Amino acid sequence: MSTVAVDPVTARWAGALWNLASSQGAVDQVGKDLERLAAEFSSPAVRAFMLAGDASPAERRSKLEQVMGGFHDLSRRFVGLALDRARMGVLERAAAAYRALSLDKAGVVEGVVEAPRPLETAEVSALEAKLGGELGKTVRLSQRVAPDLLGGVRVFVGSRMIDGSATGRLEGLRRRLLDAPLPTPAAID
Amino acid sequence: MDLRPAEVTSILEKEIENYGGDSRMQSVGTVLSVGDGVSRVYGLDDCMMNELLEFQNGVRGIALNLEEDNVGCVLLGDAAKVREGDTVKATGRIISVPTGDQLLGRVVNALGDPIDGKGPLGTTAADLRPIEQPAPSVVERQPVTEPLQTGIKAIDAMIPIGRGQRELIIGDRQTGKTALIIDTILSQKNTGDGDPTNPEQVICIYVAVAQKQSTVVDIVRRLEAAGAMKYSIVVMASAIDEASMQYLSCYCGAAMGERFRDAGRHVAIFYDDLYKQALAYRQVMLLLRRPPGREAFPGDVFYLHSRLLERAAKLADNAPEINPRYEAGGGSMTALPVVETQEADVSAYIPTNVISITDGQIFLESNLFNSGIRPAVNAGISVSRVGGAAQIPAMKKTAGSLRLELAQYRELQAFAQFGSDLDKATQAKLTRGERLVEILKQGQYTPYKVTDQVAIIYAGTSGALDDLAVSKIADFESAFLEHLNASHPEVAEQIMTAKKGIPDETKAVLDEAIATVKRQIA
Repeated sequence: MSTVAVDPVTARWAGALWNLASSQGAVDQVGKDLERLAAEFSSPAVRAFMLAGDASPAERRSKLEQVMGGFHDLSRRFVGLALDRARMGVLERAAAAYRALSLDKAGVVEGVVEAPRPLETAEVSALEAKLGGELGKTVRLSQRVAPDLLGGVRVFVGSRMIDGSATGRLEGLRRRLLDAPLPTPAAID
Repeated sequence: MDLRPAEVTSILEKEIENYGGDSRMQSVGTVLSVGDGVSRVYGLDDCMMNELLEFQNGVRGIALNLEEDNVGCVLLGDAAKVREGDTVKATGRIISVPTGDQLLGRVVNALGDPIDGKGPLGTTAADLRPIEQPAPSVVERQPVTEPLQTGIKAIDAMIPIGRGQRELIIGDRQTGKTALIIDTILSQKNTGDGDPTNPEQVICIYVAVAQKQSTVVDIVRRLEAAGAMKYSIVVMASAIDEASMQYLSCYCGAAMGERFRDAGRHVAIFYDDLYKQALAYRQVMLLLRRPPGREAFPGDVFYLHSRLLERAAKLADNAPEINPRYEAGGGSMTALPVVETQEADVSAYIPTNVISITDGQIFLESNLFNSGIRPAVNAGISVSRVGGAAQIPAMKKTAGSLRLELAQYRELQAFAQFGSDLDKATQAKLTRGERLVEILKQGQYTPYKVTDQVAIIYAGTSGALDDLAVSKIADFESAFLEHLNASHPEVAEQIMTAKKGIPDETKAVLDEAIATVKRQIA
């Protein structure tokens, strides 16, 4: 699934940042800054240093200062405030929350399409157009090859799923057969 | 069970033929955490309260906490099969159970699946009913008018229960609570000859919550042996089942009962017991992190019981005109919940809650039980707030004096040891009281017909037994009822149809029969 679990605290911080960025016309710039921050956090050493280690707040600040060269003023303040409040978790997850928010505001949903073979670009865009019409939003699909589906496609968009795969249909058939009303023993006798 | 391959093939053919390739949009989520029978799920945007969820491995769950960023649900199956990151599908169905005639004589679990090894129920999707349903409204009800005969002299005479009433059975462990229920179920055989198709037959539903499996097996055997299982359903969530199943089983039983009630039939439902149900609910709610209140029960533990017991009702005769949900009017569902007390403490949290919800209570006391007074009903503090209206007139009149004389006896009982030092009037009251107490004793699994009850209570309250030794009362009773039913079968009909007390001519017959039997056993 494409959606990432975003905790309410991070969502609130990211929401405040997005509102300010939007009023200053810097949504994309701030978004890029946060992505860079997230990339930094993805390294286990940095993550341990920032979240778990016994580094002092000043050490952490100076470490982040190295990354923040070229950051938008808003991003710098955001990081500064999060450091002051010791919200390291927010810093780590802010990019994901911010991104989800930006997509939501732009009316875009992301999703994954699974199929047993790589799909043609035309097929994916046809799916995107069809789903977009149904959901009333712009749909962006990424691909994943899943040989266990046997045939057809399975699409995850937001918290919805459309299962058109052969495996899914067989599973549905299996369930229906198990649930099918059987004659009671009395009727058999 | 024996299945013919040809039948399986035909079912397969039908299923494959009807199998549509519809790939509808489904709401899905991901398991964030799982443990202790509860799980938190991210996603599931349009999830409903009490919606049935399906986990990747076929395990089912119910959504109980709809929060800002996750859905808290209880698992109804093997939690070990669910793993973090699993996909969860919303089914769009509120949890429901099969209902209807096919369930009679069966033992099912809290989801309505048969567990008695007698094969599938044979119900269809149309027989499914949500387990949580709103109770009938004020206009759809009427006051109780018909009696529900428990077959127990002490109860039918002094704490009468009407159809549609809610009467609590409360007492410590080992005081005969479940025995009282079994007797009541056996007694319902008199309503329609035990034939479940007879519209007069009272249907019995026994919900066993967190009971030992051996106890339930014993009960089912006993009901089967007595031919009472034909008109009964046993819903079992035993001590080994998940806490979620234990707390849901009561609602499941209620949904099955409502099906009959709404069709104009009469139902008696027994919840055994609600204290254990509250414990199961507390466990689930604490795991779901709902805030604990008094004794760590969640704040809505009162509502847990009140909404369940409110579904017991006597429907108005014109209920179908008011609400098309009812097939026929005049049906009833009588609830007899059980609450087990600790050390006879009826002022504990759950007992007081349920006492205030029900229309009366039957107190069973271990002191009485141990001193040989069985059923161990404490008539002094047991009440039935509405059942009096449903008693047959002959019983009402006869039992009126019984109540009074027993009350006087209890007051004087402390002086009994002074014996001959007491004045005549006091001695007479003590003599009478001792015999009445003896009359109200009753063996297990021997429910009495209401007419027999009236006759024997009349014998006691008329004073005819005062000169009979207490030890001979039991002998007298059996001989008297045998003689009466053999020689004067018309008496039963006369008592049943009497408009105001026992008619004088019937009294004359009874007096004569009493004298005859007394001479016989002397």
